[in-house]
Amino acid sequence: MATSTDLENRPSTYDNDPTKTIVETRNLGKVYRDFWGRKKVQALKSLDLEVRRGEIFGLLGPNGSGKSTTIKLMLGLLFPTQGRVFVFGKEATDVSKNERIGYLPEESYLYKFLNAEETLDFYGRLFDMPADVRRERIEKLIKMVKLEHARRRQLKEYSKGMTRRIGLAQALINEPEFLVLDEPTTGLDPLGTRDMKDLILRLRDEGKTILMCSHQLADVQDVCDRVAILHQGELKELGRVDSLLKIQDLTEIHASGLSEDTKRQIRDIIEKSGGKVDRMDNPTTTMEDLFLEIVKESEQRPGRRGGRGGN
Amino acid sequence: MRLNPDHFWTYSEWLFQQGALFNGVLLAMILSVLGFLFGYIVSVFKHGPSEGFLKVSQIIGQLFTVDLPKMSARRIYAVAKLAVKESIRKKVLVLVGIFVVGMMFAGWYLDPNAEYPARLYISFVLTATTYLVLLMALFISCFSIPADIKSRTIYTITTKPVRPLELFLGRVFGFTAIGTFVLAIMGLLSYIFVVRGLDHDHEVVSLDPTGRSGETSFDTRHRHTFTLNAEGRGTTNEVKGHRHIVTKVGDKAVVGGPIDDLTARIPIYARGLSFTGRDGEKNEGYNVGYMSEYQKYIEGDSLSRAVWRFEGVDKTLFKDVILYDLTISAFRTYKGDIVTPVGGLIHFRSTDGRVKSEDEPFKVKEFQVDRRSVRTKLKGFIEDKPADLDFFNDIAADGSFEVVIRCQDRGQYLGMAAADIYLRPADLQFWWNFVKGYISIWLQMFIVICFGTMFSTFLSGPVAVIATVAALILGFFGFFVDDLVKNTSKGGGPIESLIRLPTQMGSQIELELGNEKLQSAIFMLDRGLVTAVSRLKDAVPNFSQLDTSNFVAYGYNIFGGLLGRHLTIAFCYFVLTALVSYFFLKTREMAA
Ligand SMILES: Nc1ncnc2c1ncn2[C@@H]1O[C@H](COP(=O)(O)OP(=O)(O)OP(=O)(O)O)[C@@H](O)[C@H]1O
Ligand SMILES: [Mg+2]
Repeated sequence: MATSTDLENRPSTYDNDPTKTIVETRNLGKVYRDFWGRKKVQALKSLDLEVRRGEIFGLLGPNGSGKSTTIKLMLGLLFPTQGRVFVFGKEATDVSKNERIGYLPEESYLYKFLNAEETLDFYGRLFDMPADVRRERIEKLIKMVKLEHARRRQLKEYSKGMTRRIGLAQALINEPEFLVLDEPTTGLDPLGTRDMKDLILRLRDEGKTILMCSHQLADVQDVCDRVAILHQGELKELGRVDSLLKIQDLTEIHASGLSEDTKRQIRDIIEKSGGKVDRMDNPTTTMEDLFLEIVKESEQRPGRRGGRGGN
Repeated sequence: MRLNPDHFWTYSEWLFQQGALFNGVLLAMILSVLGFLFGYIVSVFKHGPSEGFLKVSQIIGQLFTVDLPKMSARRIYAVAKLAVKESIRKKVLVLVGIFVVGMMFAGWYLDPNAEYPARLYISFVLTATTYLVLLMALFISCFSIPADIKSRTIYTITTKPVRPLELFLGRVFGFTAIGTFVLAIMGLLSYIFVVRGLDHDHEVVSLDPTGRSGETSFDTRHRHTFTLNAEGRGTTNEVKGHRHIVTKVGDKAVVGGPIDDLTARIPIYARGLSFTGRDGEKNEGYNVGYMSEYQKYIEGDSLSRAVWRFEGVDKTLFKDVILYDLTISAFRTYKGDIVTPVGGLIHFRSTDGRVKSEDEPFKVKEFQVDRRSVRTKLKGFIEDKPADLDFFNDIAADGSFEVVIRCQDRGQYLGMAAADIYLRPADLQFWWNFVKGYISIWLQMFIVICFGTMFSTFLSGPVAVIATVAALILGFFGFFVDDLVKNTSKGGGPIESLIRLPTQMGSQIELELGNEKLQSAIFMLDRGLVTAVSRLKDAVPNFSQLDTSNFVAYGYNIFGGLLGRHLTIAFCYFVLTALVSYFFLKTREMAA
């Protein structure tokens, strides 16, 4: 019988087919310990998921559910206490994978005493990019995140939204294949949020893979192809956004041109499949409803929900 | 300042004959074993015994397979540049301002009555620079990485393809760059401060009727007398460590600026000093049992002699006169006429004793350097027959010769040590020696930066500061360890002592365990342990040994060999701290 370690040790699926998987977590868990090695928090419990090439993957969950922990494990900022993570088929602690990754942290952890250009130049150098390439990318990115007017101002003078945008530019300096965004829309106004979402979709269309986590459920609903919902470090739900939001045992009808009489008899008419039906479909819930439902349910009985979203 | 024999070892002597290379390799091996053990133990706690071993081996392997080969100069440069900007933002340049203000006040407080103002001025600027720069180095290096971790900017760094060593090297180079800049400014200011502070002149207040000697005015709390030669040129006597050149212009004498106070003598020392006793027998010199064991004594009016042996002296360094400095002290068994100094005789002879120069009398100048000279064309004896000699042809044909001193006064003693006589070829430029003094400070700064950065890879800022300071203090007391090692003969090493303690066996009795093999095993282990400990003390730098400020202050050239040694030592610490930092950065969870 294959033990769990055997499963963890099999080669990553990326090696089998690099066109499919970018990230793969296997039985991934993280326990935060204090200095003396005593357990403080179990932040993540045996997480299994894959991020596939070309998709926008969303990580959802209430505060403290382990989203950032998962991301940090993928980036090698934390080491797993259980299981493994592969990114591009390599251990997450492998530095060379970073060549192909862009990361926007939850808050912009940038050097406040640098200005926008210096910031991008610095990170460009860390990718060992020659001067002319750096110059060209910096121009492009500053234009893209609309910071032309503030390019020579120190970051400590930036507003929240501006900081967020320079953070994003920084994450894109190496034209990464895989982009990790920790709450990309927090601090942005509705316009900025719209821009950010458009940008994320555009990047996806350019062929990049994106992993994002967010509290803005509407945003997730708008852009993500697939989502995972975490609660208290456990995976509660994983699947395609469209199928997750479908309510299977309900039918929604949009009809028009019905008189009050017929409306009264509508049940009969439908049963006899008469009348003119404009649209007949499963109704969808909003992300928010689904989210709240999962959290409520999970608090009542822990463990993975019976899955309903197809992969 | 006393120069010790080890000060004038050449670089290769130090490396090979004195065992520096051997000790270094030994230390490297001991540290590697300890480092591996430490890493393994930590790893076992985290991953278990077999997995732990694998992890440690992996990390070591990756150092050579990827982390070293994939380093990029551009990344190191980026990190270094950031470190410089960060330091500037922390306002380290304010230090330069503090330094300037400090010098301005010092100008008032430096004792104007000092015996040797040059020493005072130079010591002051060098010490002040050292403390300020080391303090700066300590703080910028210890707080940088912890600040990055605290502000989490490290997240955006380590998620880029930055390798652990690049983080360390970039920081070290960046801090060193800013430190170099600060040091250069301080050095320039110090140089101006010293030269301007010591500069003064005198008027001639009295010139005797022959126009050959006279006295200068009383300025900056001293005056000189002078004598002139037939061409109307001469120098004053030495007061406060300097002289002036006096030249006659018309019927007046003009006094120039101070000379000899800012200088860099290149002393050539004897290779050995030997003694003969009062009846001409070889001995170790007499011990007059007072003060120091540093000097040994010869007895007056007897066959007692002190003989210095010089080897391989390069004759091209001298023209027609050989200058040499003599520092001899006298020990009086009776007071006698206290104003008449004790006298001695000095002559030079070939190593086979066949050729020797005439005896020349001298008077002991207590606590002062007696500046003397001998002409290369001189009178002497070949096999006791009077002859005109050429120093480098007859006495020192292969550059080797001996200097013989005896004491003339019955019942009095003359004391001397190996370094109390040295030849003085033309002095080097003072400014160059001053620069070398600053290079020494630079090396100390560099070592502090290396250690500070290393400790900051796994400790918080304040703790890293304490750890670095502790390491320096430990290094400073390193010589106690040497003492300890020397004294282990009594009562044996640590393990033997462990056996002696509970069995209450005195340290005088031979250890008897009844098992010879066990006993010799214990003895071997003890020897190994003691050697390991005595080598381990070299893992932390001893700054008192790296300090060359006294060379500059006392006007001795900082030998190239000495600087080379310090450079090598600094480089070794650099490699050591880089490796330690690599392991900590590699295994540290940046987000934990
Ligand atoms: N460095 C740490 N040390 C100890 N516990 C931590 C640490 N970082 C996170 N945790 C704990 O781990 C759990 C998961 O935290 P995580 O930051 O992953 O949550 P999150 O899903 O990103 O939350 P949020 O939506 O608020 O960002 C929390 O209980 C948190 O307190
Ligand atoms: Mg004078």
